[in-house]
Amino acid sequence: MRQFLSLFWLSFLSLVFFSPSAASAADYHEQLVLRPLPQSALLASFNFRSNTTVSEFEKGNFRFFPRSLGQILQHAGTRELHLRFGLGRWDAESWGARPWDGAREGGTGVELWAWLEADTDEEADRKWLTLTNALSGLFCASLNFIDGTRTTRPVMSFQPEGDHATVSNLHLLYGVLPHEVVCTENLTPFLKLLPCKGKVGIATLLDGHKLFDASWQSMAIDIRPVCPADGECVLQIEQTIDMVLDIERSKRPRGNPIPRPPPGHELPCDTSKPYHSHDTCFPADHTANQDWSLSQIFGKPMKGTCPLTDPTVPPVCIHVPDTRSVFVSEGVRENKSASGASRCFEIPPSADFDMVLPRPSESDPAANQTPDSAIVPPETPLLYAERSFTGHGQERGGVQTILRNPSPDAAVEFIYMESLPWFMRIYLHTMEARVVAGAGGSAHARARPDESSSLIQQVFYRPAVDRARGTQLEVRMRVPPAATVFLTYDFEKSILRYTEYPPDANRGFDVAAAVITILDPDHPGPRSDQGSPAAGAGTSSSSSRGSGGGRRFAAYTLRTTTLLCSLPTPDFSMPYNVIIFTSTAIALAFGGVFNILVRRFVAADEGPEAGLAVLVGRLKGRLLRGAGQAVKGKS
Amino acid sequence: MPTVNTPGLSLQRIYSYVNRLPLFTRLVVAAIVLFEAAAILLGNWWDVRAWGALAPDELGFGSLYRTNTYPLIHTDMFHLIVNLVSVTPMLDMFEREHGTLTTLALFIGPLSTLPALLYVGAEKYVLGLHSPVMGASIWAFLLAAIEAVRMHRVHPYFVIAGQSFPVWATPLAALVVTMVLWPKTSALGHLCGLAVGYICGLGLLKYLAPPEKVLRWIEGRLNLLGRLPHYVSVDQKTHGRFGVLPMSNLGATPVLINAATASALQLRRDPRILKLPPYLSLLCIVVGVAWLLLLPLDQYSRRTYISENALLPGQVHTYFSGSDQNVFRAYKHEVNALVGKSNAEINDKLEPIVKGLGLKTARQNFTYHAAGHTYAGENLYAILQAPRGDATEAIVLVAAWENVKHEINRNGVPLALTLLRYFKRWSLWSKDIILVLTPDSIAGPQAWVDAYHDAHDPSRVASLPLKAGLLQGAIAIDYAQESRFDSVHIVYDGVNGQLPNLDLINSVVHIAGGQMGIGVALQEMWRHDNGYSDRLRTMLRGMLKQGLGLPSGPHSSFIPYHVDAVTLQPFGEGWQDEMAMGRVIEGTFRSLNNLLEHLHQSFFFYLIMHRERFVSIGTYLPSAMLVAANFTIMAIALWVKSGQAPEAAASKSKADTTTTPPPTPTVERDLFLPLGVVALIQSLSIVPLYLFNHAPESILTPLFIAFTLINTALPSVLSHLLTQTYAPTAQQYQLVKSFSLLLLGMFLSSLATLNFSLALLTGLLAAPLSFAGPCRSRRTTTCRAAAAVLLHALGPPAVLLAAAAYSRAGVAAVLREAAVGWHVCGTYSPLVVWCVWWPAWLATSVVVLGKGEDGDGDGEGKGNGKGNGKGNGKGNGKVKTT
Repeated sequence: MRQFLSLFWLSFLSLVFFSPSAASAADYHEQLVLRPLPQSALLASFNFRSNTTVSEFEKGNFRFFPRSLGQILQHAGTRELHLRFGLGRWDAESWGARPWDGAREGGTGVELWAWLEADTDEEADRKWLTLTNALSGLFCASLNFIDGTRTTRPVMSFQPEGDHATVSNLHLLYGVLPHEVVCTENLTPFLKLLPCKGKVGIATLLDGHKLFDASWQSMAIDIRPVCPADGECVLQIEQTIDMVLDIERSKRPRGNPIPRPPPGHELPCDTSKPYHSHDTCFPADHTANQDWSLSQIFGKPMKGTCPLTDPTVPPVCIHVPDTRSVFVSEGVRENKSASGASRCFEIPPSADFDMVLPRPSESDPAANQTPDSAIVPPETPLLYAERSFTGHGQERGGVQTILRNPSPDAAVEFIYMESLPWFMRIYLHTMEARVVAGAGGSAHARARPDESSSLIQQVFYRPAVDRARGTQLEVRMRVPPAATVFLTYDFEKSILRYTEYPPDANRGFDVAAAVITILDPDHPGPRSDQGSPAAGAGTSSSSSRGSGGGRRFAAYTLRTTTLLCSLPTPDFSMPYNVIIFTSTAIALAFGGVFNILVRRFVAADEGPEAGLAVLVGRLKGRLLRGAGQAVKGKS
Repeated sequence: MPTVNTPGLSLQRIYSYVNRLPLFTRLVVAAIVLFEAAAILLGNWWDVRAWGALAPDELGFGSLYRTNTYPLIHTDMFHLIVNLVSVTPMLDMFEREHGTLTTLALFIGPLSTLPALLYVGAEKYVLGLHSPVMGASIWAFLLAAIEAVRMHRVHPYFVIAGQSFPVWATPLAALVVTMVLWPKTSALGHLCGLAVGYICGLGLLKYLAPPEKVLRWIEGRLNLLGRLPHYVSVDQKTHGRFGVLPMSNLGATPVLINAATASALQLRRDPRILKLPPYLSLLCIVVGVAWLLLLPLDQYSRRTYISENALLPGQVHTYFSGSDQNVFRAYKHEVNALVGKSNAEINDKLEPIVKGLGLKTARQNFTYHAAGHTYAGENLYAILQAPRGDATEAIVLVAAWENVKHEINRNGVPLALTLLRYFKRWSLWSKDIILVLTPDSIAGPQAWVDAYHDAHDPSRVASLPLKAGLLQGAIAIDYAQESRFDSVHIVYDGVNGQLPNLDLINSVVHIAGGQMGIGVALQEMWRHDNGYSDRLRTMLRGMLKQGLGLPSGPHSSFIPYHVDAVTLQPFGEGWQDEMAMGRVIEGTFRSLNNLLEHLHQSFFFYLIMHRERFVSIGTYLPSAMLVAANFTIMAIALWVKSGQAPEAAASKSKADTTTTPPPTPTVERDLFLPLGVVALIQSLSIVPLYLFNHAPESILTPLFIAFTLINTALPSVLSHLLTQTYAPTAQQYQLVKSFSLLLLGMFLSSLATLNFSLALLTGLLAAPLSFAGPCRSRRTTTCRAAAAVLLHALGPPAVLLAAAAYSRAGVAAVLREAAVGWHVCGTYSPLVVWCVWWPAWLATSVVVLGKGEDGDGDGEGKGNGKGNGKGNGKGNGKVKTT
């Protein structure tokens, strides 16, 4: 019966997918995809998408498209826009491949890139300034700090996702603020852009407390024109929120968030230990599967569905093996996919929705084999990347990026992009890539030189200009199968002017994440394929992205973590010491010099006499009265 | 006698001079010119010359005016010009000096009348002649005489061609010259002027001048100053020779400075100044030590305080307790089961536990070779990624398997594991937390920190496969004690005497002492009554540790990388359990987690004398600097001395000249040999440095004995060789000592800013080198032997031996520690001992020993040959007597 249902569902979906009329008619839809990850983590991907035809948009008829954003786009001549707010780091070792193949995430902080219509670079810069300042106000983020030093024009890394009639007059500008702290004030405007404003539907689950307590979270806004083969072009806005929640942490009640030690008898213990007793407890495995419910994790149940949404798209999906039982609220229809690793739920419009995922029963054979068999094993990413600083001291340093290709048989070709602040002056000649065979990195067998030299295929480098422009470095590289490549380069730290240090200067300076765009081996150029909504899903739910989708030449995108670069920082009480010191020196020197210049020097015998003799003489003079002081200086 | 002091006459100068003439002088000049004009223009109607000349015959009561008018009237144009040129400057000077009113009164009154009456009396009644006189030349001579008398007081004589003439007589010479040049002039009239001038100059006519009070009153009443241009007021009088301000006469300042430098030069030549430096050096040392002893007093030390407000130590509740203790007990069972196992087995067992906490783990191998031993092992570390962090910052928790005393860290390791498990539950961490489990307390942490900063040698230390961001702080747990504890001992000394930020120590003190009620001790002062002696002892222990520069715990390796770190050691018998220790660490981590910036606010250079008292660098540095300065002072003194001839020659030359002080005889310095000797000794110092750092431990003791024996003989051998080969002079010995002391002073004063204690200790131990000089007493051999014994007693080998005896460890152990420090941690104390102190000691020993022998040989052999600069005092004495 179940199989039949899913088969039916699949065929229904494919019907939707291939129906051309649906492309323009389904103007809004939203979907939440839940995916339990190893180590009691849970990935929740929220996706909201609305379309408006280009003609309507140009007339100012915004229906599902947010007016505030639309007017900004019109004013700034923006044809395609991507805005990212990121926090935390994606733990690829445990969690596997990134959601959306990394296409809907940014590095820590805020990232913005857009294609602007302009005839000249100057005009593009002007429009970019308008755009950043307007968005800054709209999203309560310091986007207006994306100035010339933080703006780059990537050459290889980004390609337009939308369908553009002319590409010649489009300018791509990319800006990043790595130190921007993303918080609830950014979430509120984000939710306001939605047609249902977070009042009903899956958006009701988005609570600032939970979202920003997540181990990793990313908010994305993508706007692009999509032109189906037949039919009118539409402007599509896609809002995405992905977050990885720690189930144990999220389950803590809001009133008592402090992780106090549980009472001794509640502590899960490994009773097999010989020393186990009432006061000695070796803790049982941390990664044991936990039971959870939607309302526990998000703090409240989901309130119905948004009435504007496309009813054909199921609002909630979860990726768990079919063998696991999932309990849902009354009136909810469950549809399992054919692959056996995911199921979706159709929810009545005006009923609260809750979902309980119980701990796999002891009798379940699948759950007892390995602790992680109760979840769909995460897909291995195409590449692991880790970037860190080398060296120490305040004069120079180095950057080392370790790129590991886990695939045993396929090489990975990608573009590595860094946009560095100008005060990191990189030495391009020190850039070197060396390959270490074996995924572990422990075997230090260096590859043959010819292979090593073929790692870097193309370098685009735009040097920094002090206080005007940052460094832009794009490297097209190829990592052989099952190999680890160390990409290193050295840099020099420049000394900033006194006023150029930000507050809390001793913290250091954040260096934006490196963007790694893995090229699709099948489609070296831009391809008209679409990404999948959740990590490695590629199954039934991917079809829900229905019409258009984005054109991406990239198979996978990932970003490293940001870095903290400590520059030589003056002691900021120093200027005051200097002022005091200088004043003292000037006072002393000036006093002395002025004294010498102005004082009248008189030899001792020429000046008026002093001492007892004079006093006596004066007395005598008084007594004699009349014999006053005669010619002076003679005695 | 015009004395215009204008070196080069120019029109502009003259114009400006004329423009600045004071009022009375102007009036006189005007009157003279007017009378002359009248004489020329009105010659037909009124004979001015006949009217105003001083004719003795016509002088009566009605014609007394003549005694005043005669200086203003001249016989002809030439007379007028000559007189004007000579009188104007002197009158100008006089008026500036005494004021317009006084000058007016004097020149209208006595200074015209008196010469006139004198002349009339002499001419009419003595000589019986009647020649009338006129002209301002009488004033010229009068003023010249006043001037001459005054000059005479300052410079009584001037010398022309070996003959000295009295200055006062110069106007007489001028009189004679005038007489010869212009026979027409009245010598008697000039003489009369001169006479009055002399009398006036001697001050005998003082009473004729109007009293100053009256002048002031007149001035005040009539406001003469405001009304009359170029008026010289009573108050404006210069009392000086020239001009009013140096601005109008720049000659004054250079003269003065020249005088000052001259007196300084004079002082420099003073022989007493060369006797001063040894006392000055001694004073420096005494003040330096006394300064140090003053520091523990309340007035000189300061109370500690938290400078970085973000730390907020002790402001959070700590929840590490309850069932976590059950977990701790279980981990302790696990750890106890591992005691005695190999490093790899321990790590194999611990890694799954750490992994089970949900952390990422990695291992790192390291191998160090030092003193014939191999220090190898494997570090295990784990990163607790901050739940919401971005991998930019990290704090480190270190638990070494063994502490520095090689006790198993039985409680520390399980406590660290339990804490990490507890920390994992919190979501508030802004920084990653790294747990580092090292097999030992010195090499393991060093290898890990080096590799973390990519400063490691890949052949000995493996790279780290896993990294987090910048390290912001590190806490090491050293909890080997089995029983419950009473207090926490904070170990804070880093390698090479570098210290963590004082804020970190203060935070721990605040959290342990203030929040948890656990006592805090420093520098193994288990009891501390906060009195002077305990403070001093704490400080001195700290300085000794700092001076040795050896690592004192797992934290030491972090400090050179600007990662502030301390080791916490529970001690004593009390009722605090492991959980209390865990809460102290929890509190400290919460404080570090609050940090927005790297710790930078508080002090990095300090001496702690009590948990709540410290002195900062500004207060204590002078003490080491003074000690270092003593060497520099002595070096400079020796340099100066070496440039002067010995005393005998100086006294001889003094006898030659009679009047002027003798110029100090200087001799050329022979630099080549001294520089060569010092360079040789400095380069020799590499030998002990290399030997002691590379010898295996088994031969360290024999090596040390051999070195000590060689070292004992080395000064004698060197000095003998030197005498035989080059026969150095006393000057060269002085220069050898000067250079070696100069180097020592330079090294120590730079070192004082890096490692204060090491510089001070070395400075104090080397202090006798400043004063060890050649023997001057009769019994040279005894004296030399005594000096050599004294020097050896304070030489590096003897001090090492004493240190080994004091620490009850044996010389080999001390040297091994130094070698391990040198190879593993980069301790530079051996460098300072062998390459700074030892060469200075050797050079001084050579100087002390070489002197006597050389003096004899020099005095007998070649004392005569090379003249003044050669030979010491004794040698010279011999030359003199023979």
